[in-house]
Amino acid sequence: MSPRKSEAESEIEDLDVPVVALRQEVRGICGRVLPFAARLTPAQRRNEWLREWRAELWCLQHGGRRVRWDHDVMSAASLAYGMMADAAWLGFDAALAKRRGTASACLWVLAAWCLVCAGLERMMMGSWTVFWSVLETHFLNGYIFIAAPAIFASAATNPVRPPRCEGTHRRGWLTTKARWNLFLWAKVALTLALGFFACMAATAPLRMEIGRWADWVEMPLFAVTVTAGLRWALLNQEQRCQTCLRMLKQPTRLGPPSYNFLEWSGMELACSDGHGQLHVPEMRGSWCWYDLWVERESGSETVERIA
Amino acid sequence: MSSGKLSHSVAMILKALSLGYQFGFEIMEVTGLPSGTVYPALRRLERDGLVSSQWEAEAEAFEEQRPARRYYELTKVGKEAEMAATQRYPLLARLVPEKLGKTL
Ligand SMILES: [Zn+2]
Repeated sequence: MSPRKSEAESEIEDLDVPVVALRQEVRGICGRVLPFAARLTPAQRRNEWLREWRAELWCLQHGGRRVRWDHDVMSAASLAYGMMADAAWLGFDAALAKRRGTASACLWVLAAWCLVCAGLERMMMGSWTVFWSVLETHFLNGYIFIAAPAIFASAATNPVRPPRCEGTHRRGWLTTKARWNLFLWAKVALTLALGFFACMAATAPLRMEIGRWADWVEMPLFAVTVTAGLRWALLNQEQRCQTCLRMLKQPTRLGPPSYNFLEWSGMELACSDGHGQLHVPEMRGSWCWYDLWVERESGSETVERIA
Repeated sequence: MSSGKLSHSVAMILKALSLGYQFGFEIMEVTGLPSGTVYPALRRLERDGLVSSQWEAEAEAFEEQRPARRYYELTKVGKEAEMAATQRYPLLARLVPEKLGKTL
């Protein structure tokens, strides 16, 4: 018996549910698949999952009243597949929930869209030589001249604020402030790249039809995508937890808007990992120019004014 | 998961739950759906708040000499989705029979 198998079997034996003897032919497949499938489930749900499946397999042995369950190998294989599908779904869903809203997920999605748009452009261009040559020409002779003022305009109308958390906090090998900056610049770079590739892919059919006249469509499109993209990137940065960079959730309205001049009212967003809360005022005034980030660290709260 | 997007399989599972079938094997039996469809669908429905689950009391299971089961039931949202699904798939009522007795 291999050590892996004994570990898997002991996992089941740890359960307080008594071990149920399955029919021989079904046990051959399901019994072997159960511990293996259990490894696909998230650790915190594994025991519960095993317990549920053991109860289900008990029914298989004792049968139902309405439909006779054929205790043949095909039925057992179908059930084993169901077991694997169930475990895999739980594992996949848990992994997805863990990644959802994280900074890395955001960058991966942007990078994937860049690849999709570049792939479309490459398909329409027909060859790598034409593809690179067109990209180079349009980037150096058009995009750079449009993007530079658009970046300036976006930054001027929506100034980049420094991170609202202590720069000395360390997560991994980088401080929170360094991670905040790194993520912002990576996101801005990918957003600009996506804007470029998306515009190129969108105007490619027109370029093939009317040649350089398509620049009259391409240039305004560059300006719109760069401005909108950068505004999104900056706004997105504001809506993230300042410690772990995950998107803030659970938007909750606080305070009656009719008491705006007497009492604070607005929206409150929280980090799902409990790092802090963001208070977004309904009305900005001299008493509250910016959003307030309330950081929760080791049970104590520190309120920092963003400036 | 909005009721408009419910597949026929999910509609059958909701119908079975509305008729009192409570756990995976029972639903598989009555709908004829494979386990690879029923169990992941139950998880998804639970995640989306259409279905809730709870463990059977140990004493009850012990009395019947079997392991305790995890029972599923429709939530308020789930009941609304089931009614919408029944309207969308009128044959559901014929495909899933009423529950007559207790499953072993
Ligand atoms: Zn956080």
